[in-house]
This record gives sequence, structure tokens and C-alpha cells, in this order.
Amino acid sequence: MSPQASARERASDDRESATGIRPEAKGDAMYEAVHAHPDGDATVARHAATAARYGYDGIVVRTREALDPVLVDPTGDRGATGDAGDPAADASTDGAPASGDRERDPAALGEEYGVDVVDAVEIDADDPTSASGSVGNYRPERTVVCLVGGDDALNRFAVEEPRVDVLARPMAGSGGFNHVLAKAARDNGVHVEFDLGPLFRETGGKRVRALADLRKLREIVTNYDAPHVVSANAASHLELRAPREVVAAAEAVGFDPEWVREGLDAWGEIAARTRERRSEAFIAPGVRRGRYEEDG
Amino acid sequence: MKHLPKYLRPRWRYVAVGIETWPDADVGRRAFQRALWYAAGNLVGDAGSADADLSLLSFAYADGRGEAVVRVRHGHVAEARASIACVSEVDGEPVGIRVRGISGTVRACEERYMGRAGGTSTQRDVAFEDAERPAVVRGDACDVRTESGHVGATTFDIE
Repeated sequence: MSPQASARERASDDRESATGIRPEAKGDAMYEAVHAHPDGDATVARHAATAARYGYDGIVVRTREALDPVLVDPTGDRGATGDAGDPAADASTDGAPASGDRERDPAALGEEYGVDVVDAVEIDADDPTSASGSVGNYRPERTVVCLVGGDDALNRFAVEEPRVDVLARPMAGSGGFNHVLAKAARDNGVHVEFDLGPLFRETGGKRVRALADLRKLREIVTNYDAPHVVSANAASHLELRAPREVVAAAEAVGFDPEWVREGLDAWGEIAARTRERRSEAFIAPGVRRGRYEEDG
Repeated sequence: MKHLPKYLRPRWRYVAVGIETWPDADVGRRAFQRALWYAAGNLVGDAGSADADLSLLSFAYADGRGEAVVRVRHGHVAEARASIACVSEVDGEPVGIRVRGISGTVRACEERYMGRAGGTSTQRDVAFEDAERPAVVRGDACDVRTESGHVGATTFDIE
């Protein structure tokens, strides 16, 4: 963490912050999940630069093609895939990313701009069967796995699959959400995404319907205390909004500001959870390999 | 009309706003003011919009970067901030928008938050995605023109 910390200090000088208070001193870490080029209109580097200026602590890149997977933990722990026996796999996973491009390496980007760049994937499948295959494929190589909901079968599949981190945009399209799904999401630790994109970028009837859906979703999710994440779903640096603006806009449509901040922070927690699980010391939740006591 | 006694005058806050667009966009003062009021009207309604005021006191824009001072009634800064965040396009041009800070006087607002145009921009061809493409470079930021429109990149991507 130390190279990142120093980079962050450097970056905080040119931040457009209203107060001199560092974002990390204000409490929760702020993360935003973005769509990067080729899925969006800005590269990961541009998103990272803008997010750093806006006071975010990290970005989660939903576009799989935009970043190389981090197969080896930056702290030098074992590869997440666990195929240590295969020499070919060893050579390709030896610290450097597969393609060797600097602009596709999350660690290099994070160091350059002083924000945590998290590699993620957004699985947009037609039905639960193909979604299940994709989850199996991408779970070992990606830090955050999002599954795009939007119909009842996919929403149901996502909340019942502990390997999925985030159920993205559950209310888009014909999708619905109810108490059964909320309980399953809570039990499986699947975060339900609150997509504020329409709040910022739509007008008229579309926006009204999206806000009505958000309210319904919020009532269900808060009632069962299911985990949640909040995002503006920015597809370019122009669509990014600073954390305080996101919180203010969400508050204007009835969200609790503290709850929204928790939702922005949750992206970082998901990333931290996966990194912890990938680390050498991790055995099972609650069980870590430590130094054993030598007595006698 | 005779001016109001001090205790009846409205109290204002001045919000410094930073604006960013693609380099070939053109954002005018009137268009921006209209977008601001529309955003407020759509988000907090006519009543909330009237409370917040949100009139534009100063506006400067050139080559894809701009800044503005927006007047907001004291006590309605939260709604104003939310409305400003909801400005997603001006005259059909997508805009990135950011509240840089809030002051109690116009002068403090300008001294503290205005006048950081972010350097001059130059036009040159850059290597992006295995092809030479025209781009507008300003500091670290680099807006590349591609077949399907602009792509926001940085010098990190094109080196």
C-alpha cells in the first residue's frame, strides 16, 4: 500500500477540494464503478485522472476488455487461479500482466493517478445458464464480478450465487425485485446496485420511472438490510460526478446521505474482500494462516 | 425602488462550478443558464428552483473548459448542488460538471476557485490504439477523435 499512499499524497495537491480535508479523513472511502473505453468514451486512465481530481479513492472498471486481470496479488502472494503446477501459466502470471501494456495494468494506473484501480467484469448474459458459465470463467481472474440483472430469472440467479459480488441494474428492463430476492442477497452477500445514471442523465417519463423503481428497490433492500452499492454508471469522464454531488443528488430524491456514502464505500470493501481471499494467508472466512506459536 | 433593510435582504452563497466538454463543443452563457434552471426545475420542481435561485453571475468558457459562479440562496445549497450535478448536457453537448467550492461573497469565490483554466490546449496527432489520430492535448488530458466520436484519454495512454 505504501507506493499508492505516496502517490495519493502527491495527487491530493491538485485536487479540487472545497476544504483542505483529505477524503480519507472524512470517513468512508469513495469508489465509483465506471464503463471504460471500448465500452465507454473514456479510457481507464482518463477515468482515474478525473476520479482522483474529484476526490474519489478508487474506481472499479466494469469493462472487462479495458484492463488485464491481476492474476498475482501485488504483495507477491500466490496466483488467484491456483494453477501453480503449470509452468506456462506461471510464466504468464509472473507479476506482469499478460499483454504488458502499461495502460492496461491496474497497479501501474493506480500508482500514476493515486487512486485504487480495480479490475472488474460486468456479465451481461441472456439466461442464468450462460450467466453461470461466465461467472465460473471470470470469478478466478477478476476482483469484482458484476452480473447485469434486468429480468426476473437473472435477478434470481444473481442473488443466489455467492460468487457474484454485485447485481447490477436489477430494475432495468422487465426486472423486478422482492423480499425473497432481498433475503437471498443478504444471505449470499450479493450487493444490489442502485444505478443513479438515469437521475443524472435522463429527463421526463424515463427518469420518473427509474426513480420510482429506485424507491421501490430502496424500500425492499433497506428493510432486509441487504448489502448495496451506489453508482452513477459513468461511461465517460464527463459523466462522472464528484462524491458530494452524487450524495446531494441522491438525497434530493429521498436517499439517506449516509446510506449513499456506504454504497460508494461498498465497492472498495468488495475489492478488499476479494484481495484478502486471494492472499496467501487466507484459508476460509475467519481462518487465516499466521505464525504459529512456538512454545517450549 | 428603495433597497431593503439589511435584515430583510436575502442572504446568498456563491457556488464555483467547473465545466468540461469535448474540445469542439460550444457552450454559451445563456444555454448554460437555461440548462441549470431546467435541471433544477426537473429535480426539485418550480418551488425548489425558485428557492434556490441558481442565477449565473459570471461565466467563462473556451476550448472545452469553463467555469461559472452561480448564486444560491443561503440554506438551499444542498438542492443547488444536486441540481448542478444533474446538468448532463448543454445544447445537446455532454458536459462534465463539478462544484469546486462555495463562498459567502463573490470576491472570495473568484479569488479562491476561479481562474484555473488548466493550461493551454494544443492540437496534434497521437498514437492511440495502433493508429495516428488527431487529438487535443491539454496538460495530462487528451481528447482523441475517432471514427465513432471522441474518446477521453490521457498522456498515459498515448505514450
